[in-house]
Amino acid sequence: MPVGKYCFSTGVSAFFEMATADARGVIPAYLQPIEVRHQRSVLTVTAFLFEDSVVGPYTELMFAVVVPPMVEEWGHHAKAGFFPFLMATSSAEARRLRAERYHFPYSDQDIDAQFIETPERLRVRAWGGGQPIVDFSVTQGAWESTSHLLQSFAGYGKARYRANVQISGQYTVHENERGSMILYPHEFTRAIAPSEVAPYPFREHWLKNGTEVFHSLETF
Amino acid sequence: MSDQQNGPATDVETLSSPNRLSSEGSASEATMPETQPSPPGAMEYDYTNFYFGAGEDPFALIGPFDDWWRAVKPGGYYLYELPLHSAPSTRVDVEDTKTHEVRRGLVNFASYNYLGLSYRPEVKQAIKDAVDIYGGGASGSPILSGTTDLHRRFADELAAFKKKEAALIFPTGYSANVGTIAGLMRSGDLIVADQYAHASVVDGMILSKANSRFFRHNKVEDLNKKLADFPGKKLVVVEGVYSMDGDQPPLADIVEVCRKHSARLMIDEAHSAFLFGENGRGVVESQGLEDEVDIHLGTFSKSLGGQGGYIAGSAQMINYIRGFSRSRFFSCALSPVVVAGLRKALELAQREPELRAKLWHNVAFMMAKLADHGVPVGDTTSQVIPIMVRDDARIFQMAEEVFRGGVFINPVKYPAVGKHKSRFRMSISAAHTEEELDRGADIIIGVLKRYGVCR
Repeated sequence: MPVGKYCFSTGVSAFFEMATADARGVIPAYLQPIEVRHQRSVLTVTAFLFEDSVVGPYTELMFAVVVPPMVEEWGHHAKAGFFPFLMATSSAEARRLRAERYHFPYSDQDIDAQFIETPERLRVRAWGGGQPIVDFSVTQGAWESTSHLLQSFAGYGKARYRANVQISGQYTVHENERGSMILYPHEFTRAIAPSEVAPYPFREHWLKNGTEVFHSLETF
Repeated sequence: MSDQQNGPATDVETLSSPNRLSSEGSASEATMPETQPSPPGAMEYDYTNFYFGAGEDPFALIGPFDDWWRAVKPGGYYLYELPLHSAPSTRVDVEDTKTHEVRRGLVNFASYNYLGLSYRPEVKQAIKDAVDIYGGGASGSPILSGTTDLHRRFADELAAFKKKEAALIFPTGYSANVGTIAGLMRSGDLIVADQYAHASVVDGMILSKANSRFFRHNKVEDLNKKLADFPGKKLVVVEGVYSMDGDQPPLADIVEVCRKHSARLMIDEAHSAFLFGENGRGVVESQGLEDEVDIHLGTFSKSLGGQGGYIAGSAQMINYIRGFSRSRFFSCALSPVVVAGLRKALELAQREPELRAKLWHNVAFMMAKLADHGVPVGDTTSQVIPIMVRDDARIFQMAEEVFRGGVFINPVKYPAVGKHKSRFRMSISAAHTEEELDRGADIIIGVLKRYGVCR
């Protein structure tokens, strides 16, 4: 059942190869990282500019590892799963609400983020505590309307949670390796070895004018 | 676009009923009930969405996958594994499993028969002669009872052709890569491969349990980074011609980096052996680096039109791999019948350099034709021409129109290539006539134009 709807004007999600050993280090033992190549898992860096939510407009940044979704019958089977290991927002109220509802691992720090859009490229720069966290960009492909069913995972104490997430909107994706990323030494990036993360995304998603709908949290 | 709109491009024979096929061993495909059009979203899924799944039951993904597969198959996935009713020559008869018709006389750009040797009368006769002596199969592992005098002679002939001390024959190209890489490298070693290396290279890396890294396609500076500061044994694996893009590695630069880091170099010439170089010894010959590469691997299923794989190199290296390549050790040897055909095909490939000349003439002819119409072909420099459609959502529609229009060519989309890098992979053969190339290209270009891919 949908329990939370968030409207975004701009969203970006970039997929980077990372060492599987590092991926295992940031997800719980009951989940397995998906390997895009032998010993190479997937780090996703995602940023949304939400314009309309119950707490008003805000920016969100998420670092996650791609994991298999729980199997469901066809029609309800999610395309992919992800385990966020660090999230942050520009709004304390937003993260309080989302942390209560979904048990996502939010940082207590406010972040600032810039979305710099040119016709061909979307660049996102984020800071926490005045220090740079990440500077990454994706490039444009063919735009289409789409709706993707994804599955998010979270842990809280010994409890295991999952929730379906439907992301809809204008969307472009490609694997032309034209994007980039600089990870800065920061609390946010401490759990991963930047030298073992590819400096360019192998897959680049760019979204516009869409919605992120969270369904109710389930234990498993 | 219907056949009527396109004109009767090919002869079409309607199979009497789907059940006709059940007596020919394809019951599962033929009796599969027709499904309704794909539900919304089904075509946005792909194989990768059913590869991993959390839960307790190993069979849990089978049901959802099967439901999805039945939903999407009529939308284009049926275009894979279409049964041929003829030899893989330049014109083929192909069964349309969606309409239960056999489409006859399609121009064939899908088969790897680069020199047209698989159906040459001399090759077929050699195979027939071998059947009378050896029967159908080898009936044993090559190290036990599966090696015949034909195998020994063929390995020697192959080594002489490659100008190497020795060669080793494998039952498939896949097993050659897996067996060689896993036979040589161990846990704690390092293997670095081009990111576009074939699945058999990747599987060999996994089986070896060595540390595995991939460098950006043909980016030597990235290879240099991936090799840096690793203290142990190192193997670099590249291909002669990359099978999805048709481009070649910058071998001289790669050799230099390998030397700098004391890494051994292996090249998979599956799509380039018997074609490139003045004598057909591969990209290593055309780039003048035959002695700088440590392990030369190739297949017999492409240019020689048969089956199997090989490695060539020093006698000591071959002897070691012979002892430790489990994929060869524990497989039945290549059928002596196939080996007989391969010996004749190798002889023809050496005796008739005009075959290679004709192939490169055909490639130039097709490239010029495609360029005239602004068809994007990536960075190919070979007989593998990727026609870059870059439209994952509509490539199957285009492929269906091309197929019904009279061309047999494989659509390739994610996950075989990256997202929005969908393409048709065109394989040119020396056996194609200019009329066939012209006709096939016209059909493809006609479809591409309608979809705005070319002018």
